[in-house]
Amino acid sequence: MNESENNFNDLKQLLKLKRHEIPPPGFFNQFSDEVVARIRAGEGSGTGSFADRLNEQVPWFVSFLRIFEAKPGVIGGFATSLCLLLLFGVVLAERSESGPQSILTTASSQADPTASTPALASVATPTFANSTASEGGIAISTNASLQPVTAFFGQPAGASALFQPASFAPAH
Amino acid sequence: MTMIMSEPATTPDPSTPAGMLEGDLVKRARRGDLHAYDELVKRYQERIYATIYHMTSNHEDANDLAQEAFIKAYSALKSFKGGSSFYTWLYRIAVNKTINFLKQRKNKYHLSLNDIDFNAEHDPDLMALISDKTPTRDVGLSELQKKLNEALLKLSEPHRMVVVLHDVQGQSHDEIAEIMGCNIGTVRSRLFYARQQLQGHLAEYIKP
Repeated sequence: MNESENNFNDLKQLLKLKRHEIPPPGFFNQFSDEVVARIRAGEGSGTGSFADRLNEQVPWFVSFLRIFEAKPGVIGGFATSLCLLLLFGVVLAERSESGPQSILTTASSQADPTASTPALASVATPTFANSTASEGGIAISTNASLQPVTAFFGQPAGASALFQPASFAPAH
Repeated sequence: MTMIMSEPATTPDPSTPAGMLEGDLVKRARRGDLHAYDELVKRYQERIYATIYHMTSNHEDANDLAQEAFIKAYSALKSFKGGSSFYTWLYRIAVNKTINFLKQRKNKYHLSLNDIDFNAEHDPDLMALISDKTPTRDVGLSELQKKLNEALLKLSEPHRMVVVLHDVQGQSHDEIAEIMGCNIGTVRSRLFYARQQLQGHLAEYIKP
């Protein structure tokens, strides 16, 4: 580091010239008066622009936004990663939609041999659920929102343990 | 005894704004005491103005921006938590304001340089750098001043800011990192890159 500092010695000497640049005589005598006069005139009581307030309250967010300024590569990379994330979300959502339905089909076909198609299963199961409920058995709902959380993450169709308990057997 | 008698004349009265500590002045200014804030302005006006002036190379712009920075700081005093010194916080406001201004202005700048003071002509290091071909020292200095400012304006705002704060204003890497909201490594690398660029732009004035 010292070596690189030495390489810039002449430049640093040259930059010293900037310290000799001085404003017109008497400039600082009235500077503070002007500032205070402007504050008294009401300029200091304003809340400032939205950007200013944002900069004050969440400076890290403003710094984050500055990363994208005039950097097409970074903007492109960020946009691509957002698109990929969105695509991943869509694929995941599609899988979770098909997952519970296939599980239901398997489970209902085990309980009722006549329900061999998904369409039949979706009609037959609520009827069965109502009858078991009235007879003191455990009811099951076809409403996807009431299914266990694991069903949304693509539970394999063969894993019928979730619906295996004797809820489908009529309670006598 | 004479010394004791003469002391009060030189030491500022702690009951007046001029003799108060920065923290007390900030507390008073936050309560709306403009005399206290006037004292804070007086304490930091030269450094804030100089930083903005070296960034813009324009006296009128520097005057406007420095005033706006102090006004902005006054209106935002309530949000000043005291995590850093008032001086650093004020600097940060001035730096942000200046960088925003320069981004809007882009390359549409015109130089409005201040005069060089008399002492510059007696700086041996500076004189040694002036080319022998220049007819007089006055011409040499003003030409050098113009070239130096033009070279600085060719740097990006963050690089220029680091050079101004470190090599012109004499701030430490730590202080610059705090003012600019980045880490010390970034400050060092920006400084190195900026110096390299400047050396290239000012090659005719710097020994190889």
